[in-house]
Amino acid sequence: MTEPTSQPVAAVVAELLTKRYGSLTAIEDLSFTVAPGEIVGFLGPNGAGKSTTMKILAGTMAGTSGRATIWGESVSLNPAAAKSHLAYMPENNPLPDDLRVEEYLTLRAKLKNVESKNVQERVEKVMLDCDLTRRAKGRLIGHLSKGFRQRVGIADALLAQPKVIILDEPTIGLDPHQILGIRDLIRSLRGQMAVLISSHILHEVEQVCDKVVIINRGRLVAQGKTEELRRELLPDSVFHLISNTPLSQLLEICLQIESAAKVEIQESLSGGWSRYKIVIPTQSPIRENLAAHLIKTGISIREIAEEHYGLEDIFLAATRRTTNDGLRN
Amino acid sequence: MRHFKTLLFHELRVVIYSWNTWATAGLFLTLMGTIYWFALLECSRSPQPWTPVEGTFKLFWLPLLCILPLLTMRSFSEERRAGTLSSLLTTPASIAAIVWAKFLSAWITWVVFWLGFIPFTLLVNFRLGSVNEQRLSDPSVLIGALCFIFMSGLLHIAIGILCSCLTRSSALAALLTFITLLGLTAAGGALESLPIESWTWLGWLREPASHLRTFGHLQDFAAGVIDSRPLVLYITGNLLCLGLAILAVEGQE
Repeated sequence: MTEPTSQPVAAVVAELLTKRYGSLTAIEDLSFTVAPGEIVGFLGPNGAGKSTTMKILAGTMAGTSGRATIWGESVSLNPAAAKSHLAYMPENNPLPDDLRVEEYLTLRAKLKNVESKNVQERVEKVMLDCDLTRRAKGRLIGHLSKGFRQRVGIADALLAQPKVIILDEPTIGLDPHQILGIRDLIRSLRGQMAVLISSHILHEVEQVCDKVVIINRGRLVAQGKTEELRRELLPDSVFHLISNTPLSQLLEICLQIESAAKVEIQESLSGGWSRYKIVIPTQSPIRENLAAHLIKTGISIREIAEEHYGLEDIFLAATRRTTNDGLRN
Repeated sequence: MRHFKTLLFHELRVVIYSWNTWATAGLFLTLMGTIYWFALLECSRSPQPWTPVEGTFKLFWLPLLCILPLLTMRSFSEERRAGTLSSLLTTPASIAAIVWAKFLSAWITWVVFWLGFIPFTLLVNFRLGSVNEQRLSDPSVLIGALCFIFMSGLLHIAIGILCSCLTRSSALAALLTFITLLGLTAAGGALESLPIESWTWLGWLREPASHLRTFGHLQDFAAGVIDSRPLVLYITGNLLCLGLAILAVEGQE
């Protein structure tokens, strides 16, 4: 197969990927895509099949069925071509302890088809980008801290300027400063290469990724931009209101404004004030100016705020939904 | 065989910088020196039908069984245990190149170890120059015996590499290599010593037994007899073992 000259529609394609170990199904009919230059978060609880999927995409493990392509090249039919477009940093980032950082990166650059005349330049560049030049360049990898080992892994991934990078838990075990550094580094790759990144730190993923793919028990449960998933998985908007209006009256007012509204009392406060929870559909036109509508009715309001749903809520909603489905089945 | 040269140089570098290699080299030279010393003592006490070098090489199975497994045991098992093999397989380097690079670096090391024996004979010649030099150290015997070691090493090292592919434990890989080499070395001798001629139902074993006589191959090489059959045996055995090693690595990943 010849190398495609034009940019493919998708940098990574996973199509109905399935991996079985005897009677145990690690992943089943998993399909998703990563566009060129896009940073995608790959999320799932422990044992969901994230690492298995990444290994299949990286060509270090064969799937039972399905199709995986990297930059248009089939991982199983044309592994050498697929690997030439790909860099993969596995979980725990295994590195040879008895090599020095510069030696290791030079070896990897040669193995990754970096032209001989450019090897030294590329090694210097990635060491600089990953802040390895000053403190780790000449040190044995076995003597490096966890943070520096992760940096070496990421530097290795960047060496050959691949079109696709797969990072399995790149920030695991790092301190907050190191996480910030890695986050900035990954963010700087946006538009240059497609990045598929798995992480348990949802805040990190939310900060860095354009899109997320969520799997649970080996199956895809959600994929898309965070805002799209928020609308799909958390269709209601929740407002917290502190008012001295009785529940029955507040419910009546809310129903007049939005017929699908739900009101419940959360906490009785001193002086006749109460904290209420008002739930209205996110799609409702009222959502944008609920506060103005309530004030217009003349009720006393001390505080009103909309609850913000983060990626954590989306992740929990998506995985809870499939877990409950699984329990029911 | 993409990136074979890069991988070979890397493997050789790892071998040179590894304390394991130097410790094994020390062990090898101590063992060979001791054997040679006893062979010299035997020859000095009474006339022997063999030279000290021949006597030393007759015990070639000792370093083969004790030293060779130490050289090959870590090649794949250690990389699999540490996870660096998976990382290596994500590069465009082919599995065949990885297996051949590891084999060749181990074989070169084995060859260098045996070449390290030559100074012992030179030293003895230098110190005991007045003794009949031909009897003390016949260069043709030494060259022939070393050629046998290098040729049979193709198969023996390949067996070690294959065994290392089969497990994550270096110790288990060494044990597997030891048992396989013991079986291979002993099989020829055992089959030769059996009265196969008188057992007609075992007649079919006569031919394979004649090919597996490892000690006979050593004698032939030392006597300067070049027989193509052992060459074919060691080369095809080498290709078979390395082919199986490639399949084993492919199967595990």
